[in-house]
Formats: sequence, C-alpha cells, structure tokens
Amino acid sequence: MRKLLVVLLTVLFATMMFSQSIKVLAWDDAHSQSWNTLLKDFEKATGIQVDLELIPSGSMLQKTSLNVTENKANYDLVAIDEGNVAKFGDLLLPYSQWPKGKVYPKVGTNDIPAAIFAAAEWGGQLVGIPNNGNMYIWMTRKDLINDEANKEEFFKHFGYELQVPQTLDQLMNMCVFFETKGIYGFAPFTATSEGATCEAVMFFESFGTSVLEMVDGKYEVSLDREKALQAIRFYKELMKFSPPGAMSMGHAERIGAFSDGLVFSMFQWPGIVPSHENVDESMVAGQIVYSAPPAGPFARTAVRGCWIFGIPKASENQAAAAEFAYWVNNHDVGLKLAEEGMTPVRTDLLNELSGEKPWYTGMAEAGQFAVSRPNRSVHYPELSEVIKNNWLGAVTERITPEEAVENMVKELNALLESYE
Amino acid sequence: MSNSTTIKRLPLRKKRGPFLYFILPAALIVGVVLVFPIIYGFGLSFFNWPQVNDGTRAFINVKNYMELFKDNEFWHSLFLQLGFIFIAIPIELIIGFFVAILFNHDFPLSGFLRNLLLLPVFILPILSGLTWKLMLQPRYGAITYLLSLFGMEFPQGILSDQSLAYTAVIIQDIWRMWPFMFMILYAGITSLPKDIMEAAEIDGAGFLKKTFSITLPMLRGTITTAILLRTIDALRIFSEVFVMTGGGPGNGTMLFSLYIHKQAFEFGKLGYASAMAVILIVISLFFAFGLVRKNMDIDTM
Repeated sequence: MRKLLVVLLTVLFATMMFSQSIKVLAWDDAHSQSWNTLLKDFEKATGIQVDLELIPSGSMLQKTSLNVTENKANYDLVAIDEGNVAKFGDLLLPYSQWPKGKVYPKVGTNDIPAAIFAAAEWGGQLVGIPNNGNMYIWMTRKDLINDEANKEEFFKHFGYELQVPQTLDQLMNMCVFFETKGIYGFAPFTATSEGATCEAVMFFESFGTSVLEMVDGKYEVSLDREKALQAIRFYKELMKFSPPGAMSMGHAERIGAFSDGLVFSMFQWPGIVPSHENVDESMVAGQIVYSAPPAGPFARTAVRGCWIFGIPKASENQAAAAEFAYWVNNHDVGLKLAEEGMTPVRTDLLNELSGEKPWYTGMAEAGQFAVSRPNRSVHYPELSEVIKNNWLGAVTERITPEEAVENMVKELNALLESYE
Repeated sequence: MSNSTTIKRLPLRKKRGPFLYFILPAALIVGVVLVFPIIYGFGLSFFNWPQVNDGTRAFINVKNYMELFKDNEFWHSLFLQLGFIFIAIPIELIIGFFVAILFNHDFPLSGFLRNLLLLPVFILPILSGLTWKLMLQPRYGAITYLLSLFGMEFPQGILSDQSLAYTAVIIQDIWRMWPFMFMILYAGITSLPKDIMEAAEIDGAGFLKKTFSITLPMLRGTITTAILLRTIDALRIFSEVFVMTGGGPGNGTMLFSLYIHKQAFEFGKLGYASAMAVILIVISLFFAFGLVRKNMDIDTM
C-alpha cells in the first residue's frame, strides 16, 4: 500500500513537473468553440494542457491590452482581430521565429492564401498566423440565373449570358433586368458601423484608388478624387435597385432581405452565410452560388477582416503555444474541426470541403483578391470614422459625392497631421 | 448638588461613535462606486492616456479641455443632448400631469388601466431601443405601416434621415418615460388635501382654475423632483439610442454619452473622454443644484 502511494505521488509529481500547460485567449463563437470539442485529442497527442478562454469579441481588445505587454504575458497565445495587429504587432513573436512543431508541422505560408496571411503582417514581417478566413464573398441567386426564361430574355436584351456577375457593370445590367421581375438587384450596407467603411474600401479599390497608402511606415492620404467620385456614383446607382430601407441597411436587414428571396446578388461575410443556407431561416437555402466579388473597372476586391493567432514575446511557453496554433490550422485536424463548426482558412481544406459547404468555394476564390482596410495604424478607428461618415453621407444623399470626397481628404489629412 | 443632577458630558469621540457605525457602510459604498471614480476620472482628464501604442499616460494639463472646446462634434453632441432634454422632458411632464389628473377621478377599470400604463417604464432601455428600431423598419415595421395608412410614406426608412431619427429617439424616450412622470405626479396629486379642492369647488372654480391655480402650485415640489430625476436619467441616456441608431445617420443622434463612449472605447482616448465626462458631471450638478435650490425655496415658503 505504501509502495503504491509512493508510486502514485511520484507520478503526480512528475506530471506536475514535466507536463506543460498554456493559456489561450480567443473570441467566443461557433468557430472557436469547435477547438474546445477536440481539445482532449490535442492534449493527448502533445502532452500540453490547454486553458482555452473564450470571451465575447467586444472584450478582446481590452483583455488583451491588460494581459499582454512588453514584459508580461498572462496568455501564451492570443487571437487578435486584424484591426488591432498594429496595436500588438511589436509585442508579438515574428512568425519566422516560431519554433517548429513537434507533433503538428509548422503551417507554410503557401498553405493559406497569401492575401489572407497578409492579415498577420506588421512592420514588414508576419507576426502571427491567420485562424479564420474572413473576407467578403459574393452571393448570387442560382435559381434566378439558371431560369431558362430569364436566360433567354436577358441574352436578348444585353447580348451575353445571364450568370454570376463577373464585373460591376454586369451586376448593374442584372439589377436593371431583375427590377422588371420584382427582384431587387443588390443590398447595400449602409448602417452606421464598420461595415460601411468596408463597402467604401471595396468600391474605391475596385475603381482603382486607395483612401490611404503606407509610405515609409506612415499613412498618407492617396484618394484619387475622380476615381472616388466614380465609385460613389456607381454605388448610388446600385442602391436604386435595393430593397426599401436601403439608406440604413445593416446585417439584420440584409440577411432578412436576401433570405426572404427579395435580392439577386450581394456580398456577405462567411460567418453569416450558414443562416442563408439554413432551411429554417432562409427561403433561398440551396439556391445560392458563392464567388469572389465582381470586378470593378480596375480590380476585383474582397475586403478582409481576419483574426490571427499571435504569441507574445513575453510568453514562456512559445513552443507549446505554436503547437496549438499549428494544430488548429492542421489539414487532418481541420477536417474534424470543420465538422464541429470551424471555418477553415487553408486553401486545401476550403476546396476539399466545398461540396458540403458551397460557400467555401467563394472563400477560396475571394481569398485571392482580399484587400485590407487601412488598419495598420493604431489610430485606425478614427480614420475609419472619417471614411465611414463621408461615404455614408454621400451614398445616403446627405451630402454630395464631391463634398464627401473633399471632406474625406481634408479630415483624414487633419487627423494624420495631429498624430505627428 | 446631587450626583443625579450632574450632566455628564460624553467625549466627542464616544458621541460620534454610533453615528459613524451607521453611516460607514453607506459612506464606503458611495466612496467606492461614486466618489473615487469621479475623482479618478477628474484626474484622468488631465492626462493623455491613449489605449494605443504602449498606453503610457502623460500629464498634459488642461489640453484635453482646450481640445474639447475646439471640437465641433463635442458641441454638436452637447446641443443634441440638451435638445433632447428640453424637448422630451416637458412633453413627458405634460402628458404625465394630465393623465395623473385624469386618474385622480374614479372611472371604470381605472385601477387596471393605471397599472397597464406603467408597463413601458419597466421595459429595459436596450429592449425598448431594439423594439422601436424594428417598429420603424421600412419593410416590416409596425409604425412605418401605420404611418403609411395615413399617407406618410418613408421608403428609405425613418432612421435613415437625421432629423427623423432624432425625432424617433425622442419619441421613444417619451413613450417609455412619461409613465414615470405620471407615477410621481399621481402620487403627489392623490396626497393633496381634499378640503382645499372642495372649498374651491364651492367657490365655483372650474377645472382649469383648479388645475392651474391650486393643483399646479401645490405640486411644485413634486414636479421639481420629477424633473430632476428625469433630467439626471436623460443626461446618461445611452443604450436605447446606441441600439436604435448607433449615433447615426452620420452623427445625427450622437448624444453626449454616445460621443463619450466613442472617444473612450472606439478611439481609445481615455483622457479626452474623461474630460467630457467631467463636463457631463458639471452639467448634471448645474441642473441638480438649480432644481434643488428651487425645491428648497418651495419647502420654506
């Protein structure tokens, strides 16, 4: 009995001494909850105990600010919203210095679309690894474009096949066409929130101009007035083919309008797509084609908003933290995690699973055209506010497009000057 | 002199003892949840403490206040906030007062109806905001539909227009809070001495004469209290407007508390937001002192 006790205590002591544990902080949703379901497998395979803390996304910035500093890291691995990479970038271990995985191989920069990996870029290097592939994907009503009568009539009017709009001009033609059928061509995003900045960035970039550009590590206003005006005017034209309430459409209104079968084509974030494909919530489930957004006169652009995993430089368990990040982004593990609700970010997984989840095709396509908002600045929220307010002012006709562009340039310059 | 008639003076410390024991818990709570945050916030308002970069605090004297007075959006939000108070509260007061007078008379189902009228006050502000947002939705909103029956069409949505959105926010507040005024004024009216009213009636005073010459003057204290409570409440209005409009469209409904929230938690400017919070406290105190002093005058009349 005494011997057994000694053995047990020795085992317990050895376990305490030699087993490693890490603390991971991430936002709480179906995506991150999926990690919890298979956590035991990870712990068994690596011997690393994981204390996974999931909190509401709105609290992540505050919690990370308080717990990750230059000299302190109460978490070994933290999920960081792309918009906050500028704030924490200098505190994170560059990805090139992340140790190799003992059980799960280090994720290569080719495994994830480069445009998505760029979400982790700060100061000219990668400081983490994306753990979700959040970017605009384009949704088009399959039933409407496959309808023979629609196809014939459209071809007669416009001289080309009715299909998923490949360009914004085609989208406009289709808006005009479907108006005669009682279908709204497009649902804008015009609620007073970050989504409006995303719309502005997408259309400006599609028309060949950026609001801000990084020059020597600092943002400079680079808005081409003429191109910006074209983008705003085009968006206003599209809004003429939008459902009632187009002047204040947020996620709820857009989801409702599309799922009710009122809208032909619009962008959506991948996290919201499952509700459009849920037969209990949507009248168009199974009737949607997913693709990259249509191209503007200059480029095809999909606005990106990814979360990355970062390892604080002050963490004492960097190797174990890296192992966990590799596990989440591992191909074989990803297949199982996807079943539990995770949206993978790896190109191979998106393609392999697109049969079950057709929007993954759209994500893989859109990933090639992902653009970021000008969020590589600690002052991004203020910059975004100026872009959002003026864009919304113009598209909702509170001010003229000319005034909006002039205000945007003037106000952004004033803000940038104040940061000097 | 006998010992029994000697007045023993207790030491001051002993005299204060029980009083201090009773007041200590309340003083502690007030100190922790009220006094300390106010002092801390006041101190912060002299610092630049951005929640960005390394988050280092720097003492900048009164620069935040100087910046504040140059900030057009600050004045705009203050204007919207004061407008909100000066429009919503008088309307709530008028409705509450006349409904209180109505319910001071017995009529069938008056008890039931009185309880029913109080319901909006018990609705959480955030739920009220969300409900109003849905009711004003252009495609399926109940209010939008009702207005369309009277020929008032808003295809682009009421909350998409700055003036209409501001009006909607005010109406939402009036709907939710007039029963609060009613509650206080009804309690005040029912406690007024009946004999004065009877005497006035015998003297031939009509409804208007009784209302404006007797009821209103006698209710001045109660009315002041009601206005004071509502003003303090209205100064910190936040959640219902936040969910209804988010301060938009543009900055059309960016009331003062929303602007403080934006500066503190979206832009990460804690020092600047603290300076605004100090201004809000000063405005609250201004209202409170003004109204309380008035109230005291009435009490000593």
